[in-house]
Amino acid sequence: MKHSKDPFEAAIEEEQEESPPESPVGGGGGGGGDGSEEGRAEIDQTAEEDERPVDVRRPAKKSKTSVAVAEARNKDDDEEEEEENMEVELTKYPTSADPAKMAKMQTILSQFTEDQMSRYESFRRSALQRPQMKKLLIGVTGSQKIGMPMIIVVCGIAKMFVGELVETARVVMAERKESGPIRPCHIRESYRRLKLEGKVPKRSVPRLFR
Amino acid sequence: MSNTPATAAAASSSKSKAAGTSQPQEKRKTLFQKELQHMMYGFGDEQNPLPETVALVEDIVVEYVTDLTHKAQEIGSKRGRLLVDDFLYLIRKDLPKLNRCRELLAMQEELKQARKAFDVDEKELVD
Repeated sequence: MKHSKDPFEAAIEEEQEESPPESPVGGGGGGGGDGSEEGRAEIDQTAEEDERPVDVRRPAKKSKTSVAVAEARNKDDDEEEEEENMEVELTKYPTSADPAKMAKMQTILSQFTEDQMSRYESFRRSALQRPQMKKLLIGVTGSQKIGMPMIIVVCGIAKMFVGELVETARVVMAERKESGPIRPCHIRESYRRLKLEGKVPKRSVPRLFR
Repeated sequence: MSNTPATAAAASSSKSKAAGTSQPQEKRKTLFQKELQHMMYGFGDEQNPLPETVALVEDIVVEYVTDLTHKAQEIGSKRGRLLVDDFLYLIRKDLPKLNRCRELLAMQEELKQARKAFDVDEKELVD
């Protein structure tokens, strides 16, 4: 296994092997709608290149992290429920620091348009809520206690799955030469394709009475 | 006899449930709706995704998590408890997800350490 291979870098290499179609936008600049589409394609390339948190835009967030830690300390006992603030993902963590990647990320981020930046921000900050996920997991497993690491891992896996769904749906839309918001038919087709790729766990017993 | 009203009520309630979401009184309990909207925008959808799309994605995600957890439980039952490693085993083939999970777990460890250090520092300040 390659050392410290970024999840999104790996995803980008996989994508390049499959040679996805280019952005659905025909031609260059265009209006606002086109701009956002183009921004999306660019963000797919760049955001996936380095998921490493960026410090340049929000140096103030580092102080917020310590505040968040203090808050978390006051709140939790054994279950670390809300210890991670959203800002945490945006501050740098030295464990997997890679100055070359960081520098590349800075240059890319500095050139983002406002549209791209807002989308990237949504991408970084959005996350499935842990209490809800905990409820779901407890309901599925039947056990009363679900450890925090498990909730975190499942939230991360689910978020990446949503990413795969949405990106594949955009690919489907490009093939059908459609534009606009993603419709359920695209998601269904995208889900079917993911199932064929084996990225969706298959039920040993078919689901009845949905 | 005395059972018939109960069974009739049960039958009618099951009938209304079987009719599905077409009933106006039934409300879909959404778990992740708000966050999913932001997430879908981040991944490439419009700023305001269609509500039916969000509902479908939520259903798919819930089913995905359910199936994944069932499989993990099957694996975990062999050694006793359900562990995080069972999930990691299931996504072992999917490198992006696997690396991301490792990253998340490492970050969580770091935060735990940071909090512990914070505790120690505070205590030292007090003393």
